[in-house]
Amino acid sequence: MASVTIANVWKYYGKTSAVRDLNLNCNDGEFLCVLGPSGCGKSSTLRMLAGLEHISAGDILFGERRINDIPPKDRDIAMVFENYALYPHKTVYGNIANSLRLRGMSKADIQQRVQKAARMLEIDHLLDRRPGELSGGQKQRTAIGRAIVREPRLFLFDEPIAHLDAKLRAHMRVELKLMQRDLRTTMIYVTHDQLEALSMADRVAVMHEGVLQQFGPPQEVYHRPANRWVAGFVGEPPMNFLDCDLAEEGGDLCVRHPNFTTPLLPEQAQIMQAKGGGRGVTLGIRPDEIALAAEPGLHAFSGQVMITEPLGGDLLVDVILEGSKVLVKAKPNYRGGRGEVCHLTFDRERWHLFDREDGQAYF
Amino acid sequence: MIETPPRPARSLGEAVGETIGFTQEGARYLKYEAGSLNPEGSRRYYFYLMLPAIFVLACITIYPFFWLIYMSLHSVDIGGAGDMWNDFRNWTRLTRDRKFQDGWLRLAHYSVLCILFEVGIGVLLAVILNNSRFEKVLVTIFLMPMMVAPIVAGLVWYYLYNSTFGWYHWLLQSAGILGETSILGDRGTAMWGIVIVDIWQWTPLIALITLAGLKRVPRDQLEANMVDGAGAFKNFFQVTLPNLYPFLLIAILLRFMDNFRFIDAILVLTGGGPANSTKILPLYLFDISFQFFKLGRGAAIALTLLIMTIVLGLILVRVFESPAGKVNQNEEGR
Repeated sequence: MASVTIANVWKYYGKTSAVRDLNLNCNDGEFLCVLGPSGCGKSSTLRMLAGLEHISAGDILFGERRINDIPPKDRDIAMVFENYALYPHKTVYGNIANSLRLRGMSKADIQQRVQKAARMLEIDHLLDRRPGELSGGQKQRTAIGRAIVREPRLFLFDEPIAHLDAKLRAHMRVELKLMQRDLRTTMIYVTHDQLEALSMADRVAVMHEGVLQQFGPPQEVYHRPANRWVAGFVGEPPMNFLDCDLAEEGGDLCVRHPNFTTPLLPEQAQIMQAKGGGRGVTLGIRPDEIALAAEPGLHAFSGQVMITEPLGGDLLVDVILEGSKVLVKAKPNYRGGRGEVCHLTFDRERWHLFDREDGQAYF
Repeated sequence: MIETPPRPARSLGEAVGETIGFTQEGARYLKYEAGSLNPEGSRRYYFYLMLPAIFVLACITIYPFFWLIYMSLHSVDIGGAGDMWNDFRNWTRLTRDRKFQDGWLRLAHYSVLCILFEVGIGVLLAVILNNSRFEKVLVTIFLMPMMVAPIVAGLVWYYLYNSTFGWYHWLLQSAGILGETSILGDRGTAMWGIVIVDIWQWTPLIALITLAGLKRVPRDQLEANMVDGAGAFKNFFQVTLPNLYPFLLIAILLRFMDNFRFIDAILVLTGGGPANSTKILPLYLFDISFQFFKLGRGAAIALTLLIMTIVLGLILVRVFESPAGKVNQNEEGR
């Protein structure tokens, strides 16, 4: 068990930088997700932690110990790879036992630990098979078995469930989280799937183009995104963004858009006045934080329904505004059809304003 | 016959027609002939297409094969009277033929030495070459011996080994390794002499095939093994080598079949001597058939060689048909 500190780490491939000045810390026993689209530097980060990539600059510490120059075999870590990386010429048992054999453990001990890990992952009936005879889910369990059997001080997961089908993925999310809670081993988990990150992690680090965008608990990343990029990346369906102005109207500071002029809540107005309002802002609001009604109400404004997408439990409605469009998650009993006028109300507690220039969030 | 069901979208006839530039009518005719809706008809069509190839193959391999069996059962006399049935005497004589049995032993000795050294050095070379900065240049240079005709290679080495002006001979003698004897003239060293020529000429082939295999060793398996706790050495034997098996199989299969056939270099170097110490079986077969013109006995020896080649080939395939090879192929489609 160990805490992990990543201090001012850079990774260069030739002249291109994949990771830029990354600072992260992961507490002992914590489940940390590194979230980002492909090419954001998350895998490079993980591979530097594993010792598979050279660290161009900066330090990585396990506990108090600097591990930059320690080869992977001496780092006491276990890693699960995206494509499982099982040894095809070995049986499931041989795959799981590999790391123990390499450490010269006695046969009886190996047997006992492999059996225990296999039982936990419910693959004990497959121990004699070879990877070629396993399904995707079974391969993935074998790969995890190979990692947990060692009882390492740090787990590294590189998109381990990205290749499973949706149903199995949902199942494995729960299992992995349970497993981590049981073992209480520090775990760093890389994924591009925001759902995985939000549902499993204690804390989420969002990366984009090699730069850490936000680092915090899932709720914070979801409800208080640090900037426009994080707001757009996290959440499904994605957040709506509308370019607006700030204007004084009737003594209140209001968000003004061709379709609506809505006053900010008092504490929001305070923030905007303190941080130099008057500049161009982008309003961000999630589809489920917009109320849709057939009749007008307080602070409501009108738009035109472009199309509706029934999703069973929910109904997604595309609404056309002046020069833009918002996606609204409505109740399934909403009956508006194409071209009809509808009335929208924003949940002002939940909306966000971003600087239009640098994308940083005001609130 | 081939069991491919005809594709409804575009029949083979149409495809062929388009490829070789038939007119529309011609293409339509072919389509009709191919019987795109009639499996029976299309199968017959494929058979017609294959007929010329089958005919050529029959002439150059199948007919001679049966003729070989026929010859092995008869006394075959060149230019003289007809072939005479001789009550399996060609075969029964082999059981008493010391030179035949020694030929097998020497062939085994020769092949094992060649293949062991070629695979060992070849794999080592490939590992060194792989990802080296000068890989492309070095591969080209290493391939040169392979480009030389075996008989030329034999001649070159014959002069290098020569006891009066041969460079290697002089070198070894100066170093005190070789006494008064010459390399090819001594029963103890002649076998090594011909083995070294084979190694020199064919190790590059093994290196080339292995190099191709090395490029396809899955990187994530190597990395997983490193994280599991393996150093570079263990990583090579635990991950790289098993992944190389299918490639080594091809290399070894090629080499051992060549060793059973190619005698050009040996013929030039020693001609089987001294005192028959390098008379491997194919060389003995050559003597019997084309020096003494005992074609019947030669045919019997040739058949034993053929059978042994097939049996050894099958054993090799069985040994090397590792799950690794199969699995990696399966996973291609993923």
